[in-house]
Amino acid sequence: MFGEFKLLPTLVLGATLAITLVIGLFSRHRAEQAYGVSRRQSGHASIGAAIASNWMSAASFLGIAGVFYLQGYFAFAYILGWTGGYVLLLVLMAGQIRRFGKYTAPDFVEARYDSSLARICSAVIAILITLIYCVAQYKGIGLIFAWLFGIDYTRALLLGTGVALTYLVIAGTLGATRNQQFHYVTLILCFVIPLMFIAKKLGYSWLLPQLSYGAALTELPPAMASAYLEPWTFGTPYQWIALSFTLMVGTAGLPHVLSRFYTVPNTRDARWGVVWGLFFIGLLYWSAPAFGAFAKAWQSRSGFTPNPAEAGFLADLIVVKTGEWAGIPDLLVGMLAVGGILAAFSTITGLLITGAGAFAYDIYYRLINPRASERHLLKVAKGVTLLLAVLILVISVNPPGLIAEITAVAFALAGNTLFPVFLLGIWWDRANKYGAVCGMAAGVALTFAPVLFGHLIPELREWLPPTSSALIGAPLVTLIMIVVSLLTPPPPDHVRRFLVEKVHHP
Amino acid sequence: MHRPEPEQPTDDLRVNFLRPRRGFMRREVTIIWVTLTAWASLTFGFPLYLAFCPQAQLPGRTIFGMPLHYWFSGQFLIFWFILICCIFNLLIDWLTESYRRRRQEGV
Repeated sequence: MFGEFKLLPTLVLGATLAITLVIGLFSRHRAEQAYGVSRRQSGHASIGAAIASNWMSAASFLGIAGVFYLQGYFAFAYILGWTGGYVLLLVLMAGQIRRFGKYTAPDFVEARYDSSLARICSAVIAILITLIYCVAQYKGIGLIFAWLFGIDYTRALLLGTGVALTYLVIAGTLGATRNQQFHYVTLILCFVIPLMFIAKKLGYSWLLPQLSYGAALTELPPAMASAYLEPWTFGTPYQWIALSFTLMVGTAGLPHVLSRFYTVPNTRDARWGVVWGLFFIGLLYWSAPAFGAFAKAWQSRSGFTPNPAEAGFLADLIVVKTGEWAGIPDLLVGMLAVGGILAAFSTITGLLITGAGAFAYDIYYRLINPRASERHLLKVAKGVTLLLAVLILVISVNPPGLIAEITAVAFALAGNTLFPVFLLGIWWDRANKYGAVCGMAAGVALTFAPVLFGHLIPELREWLPPTSSALIGAPLVTLIMIVVSLLTPPPPDHVRRFLVEKVHHP
Repeated sequence: MHRPEPEQPTDDLRVNFLRPRRGFMRREVTIIWVTLTAWASLTFGFPLYLAFCPQAQLPGRTIFGMPLHYWFSGQFLIFWFILICCIFNLLIDWLTESYRRRRQEGV
């Protein structure tokens, strides 16, 4: 299935990781100088590139093309969910969250709701999101390493995790920071340049493969095209809208996305950074369906028809496979593989650090050992990083779905819990800690009920699909928060005054 | 909307998206509603249109060589999101600026 060991792509991977490390070291020195001498204000485009590089994971790089390959039009629910969510984030939250001035989601929750319990709840949710999100990344790493080295998926998963952790440790020991702008440019070039070559090789216009994949679609033989071109072959309109809405509210509620806004200089920069970020993310999403379409076009020409099980297995590797099938040079196929690995590595690094931090500072320090020193907490965080990494490894040996689908469950969780907590926290002074805690508990239950009990109660899966539960979940949790808050005493005056005078003031 | 509305007194601590405070917040919320309408109508309106008007998905209809519904969802809507975000930001910039200037003038 995965062929033999591929030397050139492996060398490209090694070289890229080394270059990233060197550039990371260089940016650290520059960052130190910038803080010491003159703090140069970074431009909106640069903030946008940071938002985009923080965002682009294996789900964007590998997952979307895979869903598109399998389900055609239905995949646009993912693309629109993951871009339209930024509109919601911008108009409802970005500026206000920046003015609130807290660094992590649990920080915000404690400051706004004045409750340690609410903080701990949000930390647990942040850790759960990390776990689910990372399983999807691991699957991407496993598949690409299996393809690179020509070994089976489980061994590749072990090897890939080993390389990811070694990279994390080396980067941490050397103190290399990630240069977000360099990272974004590398990813987008690794995605678009091979795509242009694929288009050319298959005989379509190479200049704008984002449009010329339309020709590939219309050329498909009628038997293949009818299923692929009809919008509702792979899901009902309800499923499409529910999925897309879930990913949108999830985007506006994901802790690691929100954290980006605390580090920008001011509110205006936060807002314009989002627009640039959306544009940079759009560049990837305009292109992603082309891989699926070109893969289909090649299959119809060569007469290669994988059975459904095989197709499902190939889907998450389709970006790399399309390059291989089209017959572009090894170096370019290597670029695709490297892009996928880089996207997954950086997401894992960011999420593991967020998750371990949430455990050490928000749960261990608050609940278990309040007298712990800073050094002790750092040790706990390191231990938890390793623990989480191993736990994720165990889950990802049998990945429960496609990369994009697993990621969507993390979005459903964020959309059912943190989104209402942030939304009401910013836009309704009366929302209190009782409402927040009940809301988060209900949100967790709503997210996991269809996963755990779906086989017992089929209606649950029909109305609350695990990937799309927030269309019903998010409004319901918001309602629960409102009712519980109204039945209990209002939050303290200092919180409400802060909201009026700082968060909602021009 | 050329003259800023006076601000509500700050001893009143109510913040409510559905009943915004007089002044800056009321205008901000109006802009948010307009943007959200532009966002939701096309994002969710189009699949509903496809679902309820089957003649819309005739395979022969193409634009730039792409099937029309593919182009609309895959290319145009992302442009649309970027566009409405830009307009939203310009409006909020203008609104914030007008209130800041007013405060500096000490009105």
